[in-house]
Amino acid sequence: MNEPQLLRISHVGVRGVVGPGLTASHVLDFASAFGTFLAPKVPVVLGRDTRASGVMIREGVVAALLATGHDVIDLGVVSTPVIQHTISRIGAGGGVSIGASHNAAEWNALKFFGPNGIYLSTAEASELLDIYHLKKFDFVGWTEVGKLCLQDNAIDPYLDDLAQVFDLESLRQFKVLVDCCNGTSALILRRMKEHFGLNLILINEKTEGVDFAHDPAISRETVGLQLAPLMQPVGADAGFLFDADSDRVAIATEEGNPVSEEMILPILADYVLPRVPGRLVITNISTTALVEEVAARHGAKVVRAPVGRQAAIDALTGYRPEQVALAGEGTGAVMMPQFRFVYDGIASMLAILSMMAERKARLSEIVNAYPRYSMLKGQLPFASRRLPELLMEIQMAYSDGHVTSIDGLRVDWPDRWFHVRVSQTEPVVRVICEQRGDPPVTLFEDLMGRVRSYV
Amino acid sequence: MPRREHLLKIGVSGIRGVVGDFLTPSLACAFGQAFGTYIGRGRVIVGRDTRMTGQMLQHAVSCGLLAAGSEVVDVGVLPTPTIQIYVADTGARGGIALTASHNPPEYNALKLFNSEGLFFNQYERGELIDLYHQSQFRRAANSEIRGITQDYESGPKRHFERILRHVDVEAIRRRRFRVALDSVNGAGSAMSCQFLEQILGCDLRAIWVDPGKPFPREAEPKPESLTELAALVQREGCEIGFGQDPDGDRLAVCDENGRVLDNDDVLALVVDAALALHAGDVVVNLTTSSVVEDVARRHGRQVFRTPVGEANVVERMRAVKAAIGGEGSNGGIIFPAVHLCRDSYTGMAFLIHRMAQTGKSISQMAAELPKYHRRLGKVSYEHGRLGMLMQSLEQAFPGVPADRTDGLKLLLDDGWVHVRASNTEPLLRLAAEARSAGRLEELYGRVVQALQQS
Repeated sequence: MNEPQLLRISHVGVRGVVGPGLTASHVLDFASAFGTFLAPKVPVVLGRDTRASGVMIREGVVAALLATGHDVIDLGVVSTPVIQHTISRIGAGGGVSIGASHNAAEWNALKFFGPNGIYLSTAEASELLDIYHLKKFDFVGWTEVGKLCLQDNAIDPYLDDLAQVFDLESLRQFKVLVDCCNGTSALILRRMKEHFGLNLILINEKTEGVDFAHDPAISRETVGLQLAPLMQPVGADAGFLFDADSDRVAIATEEGNPVSEEMILPILADYVLPRVPGRLVITNISTTALVEEVAARHGAKVVRAPVGRQAAIDALTGYRPEQVALAGEGTGAVMMPQFRFVYDGIASMLAILSMMAERKARLSEIVNAYPRYSMLKGQLPFASRRLPELLMEIQMAYSDGHVTSIDGLRVDWPDRWFHVRVSQTEPVVRVICEQRGDPPVTLFEDLMGRVRSYV
Repeated sequence: MPRREHLLKIGVSGIRGVVGDFLTPSLACAFGQAFGTYIGRGRVIVGRDTRMTGQMLQHAVSCGLLAAGSEVVDVGVLPTPTIQIYVADTGARGGIALTASHNPPEYNALKLFNSEGLFFNQYERGELIDLYHQSQFRRAANSEIRGITQDYESGPKRHFERILRHVDVEAIRRRRFRVALDSVNGAGSAMSCQFLEQILGCDLRAIWVDPGKPFPREAEPKPESLTELAALVQREGCEIGFGQDPDGDRLAVCDENGRVLDNDDVLALVVDAALALHAGDVVVNLTTSSVVEDVARRHGRQVFRTPVGEANVVERMRAVKAAIGGEGSNGGIIFPAVHLCRDSYTGMAFLIHRMAQTGKSISQMAAELPKYHRRLGKVSYEHGRLGMLMQSLEQAFPGVPADRTDGLKLLLDDGWVHVRASNTEPLLRLAAEARSAGRLEELYGRVVQALQQS
């Protein structure tokens, strides 16, 4: 397991480093499997992020979908939320998003959506995977082959829908600095400037896709690189950083401070919950406990699911849409019901700006008003065979806390918790500790020591 | 249990099959990637005929090319010769045409061209197919992946320019010929109308020039499939009619009386026209009529014979620096001063030009050719019996000189017979030619008898 991982095929789709990992043949087979999986002859919406390899992958996906009898509506370079929005707007049978969101430029991936732009359920994703592995695809006869249609104006109706939900007029007062990280957000925000007169200043907005100005990782560290230092010189009221397909967002305050990506969900919960009293917040068990504190203020409850998008989707299906206020993770990815439960960074940005407008507050005031939580994160390689043993040892050592074992091991005390789990994307064990107030250094070092002794 | 029919052929001539169960996007993509790996980094021209599966396959091939690090130029729907000329004109590394030429509409195929816009020779084809089977393709990383550019405009211009260097356009335009056209709704639909109407100033009467519609007739242009063209010629009083195949490389011609000419005679007329313009020898395949030899002799030129197949003819033409060449029975005309490829447009231009120069009608010109009688046929044979069949055939014609470069051709004083095994089916293809109908029947009968007896 010490080889660098270049390809990952799972319920979430296929993801890899283009060339050595992800090849044209994977693309053809996966898209043919999706074409076989869908109801016969339904139109499929397609879009891609700015990566250069997206053109190659697009060609393969188009060929496979046409060959399985589907008409393809290609939106070109667009964000994932725009693809999902279009699927639902035109009543398409499904969609494919080509893009590796927060991964480095050499990566790419395929994500699949069903009718209404919703993510595939675990059962559906697993059927898709079975078709892929069987490689028995339903290619149609020559008279049934689908047709390709290009549509390059999908952003406008998406923006119109956003304008229904947010009072964009009231957001014109803010000077907003955005690091697009050479991703699809640049195209949407440029349009938003033109149409709604928002005062947006875009950096890293070129969309050539060979190299990104920096990794599109949504974290406090990335925000600290280029966005935060520019805030004061530019005199911006708020700063936002998007990943390549614009489903995640991170922020910087007007004072030039990068804010932890963990803060996005609690802030948005604080904005959304008063509007929908009694509804739930759905998140994963690695996300900050500040979410519970904020929810409690509004009399709302938090449901915690295992880590990963698929687990969040499955958790969502356990509730009726009107029971849920919002769902999200500590990665800066948040979905709100106004947007059909789609992770949407642009909507998150507008919600935060609306909060500033409604409260007549500066971003730093909003951020600093929350009690301080300190999180420590670490990762170590591991020996798969001894993992159960390791988790058991840790559970025994901390038997005075409340144990959750839906995904690795989480132990909670009042104002303090830790989570030890195996990453889904890399061969490492992740250790996360959080405490209200100062960082839980002793706890963190004890856990890291125990994990290290099992390597 | 009945054997399942496998309607796919992957071999040295590329990849061809019925789209759906057999020719899949995955195969086309892998072949594109093998091609991109083989020719090396650079531009590849990709175009197609009007088959309903062309767009799908073009995307699959482009995916493979991009994955190999090639830069793709999409020229859209164009005739095969126009794509070949585009490759040669623009210094691309190679080209791929998605077309199954004269095959029925359920088929499609990849035609592969090198940097000169020529079909790969047999050695190149062998290397490419080996590379395809080894699957060790070049896999470009994100930073090495090039894009796709589109050029739907310049292809026809480049092609017309090359042809117009060899004919007197003004002389043609002055005559304002009334011309009929049947493009089988193929890749030549728009371009042939433009060529005949706007460039050559003809009074055009066209049918089946809608590239969005399916093929209305059998794809191969021959007397049986061109009855509508013949009727159009008579109805509208046209001086000549042209029939194309779906990818515009083959040409059939109808005279002003509505009679579709024998393709060997068409080739002979074009050879005559070409040799009048251009000094050089002639190359045709073994099955082409001797009428071409008679025409070449009038110009004091020699005829070289090759095995059947465009690539074979082109290879030899290149080697002997031929002025003109082609394959009689299938309507292929190759004029290297335009490009070393089968080109229906050169054929159309030369015939009209000849009519303008001589003032003769096309039927008069055909009537002036020496008269030969020809018969083609096919018989199936059992595997393992081919050698014996050929031996008994040779014994049926004792002491007759034989050419064994492609099957067996027996050269008699007043005619010839040619028998060869098909490359694609378990069939023997028979051809015979003689100066009189009676002699032809006698020769053909002897061939059939010899094959049946053994």
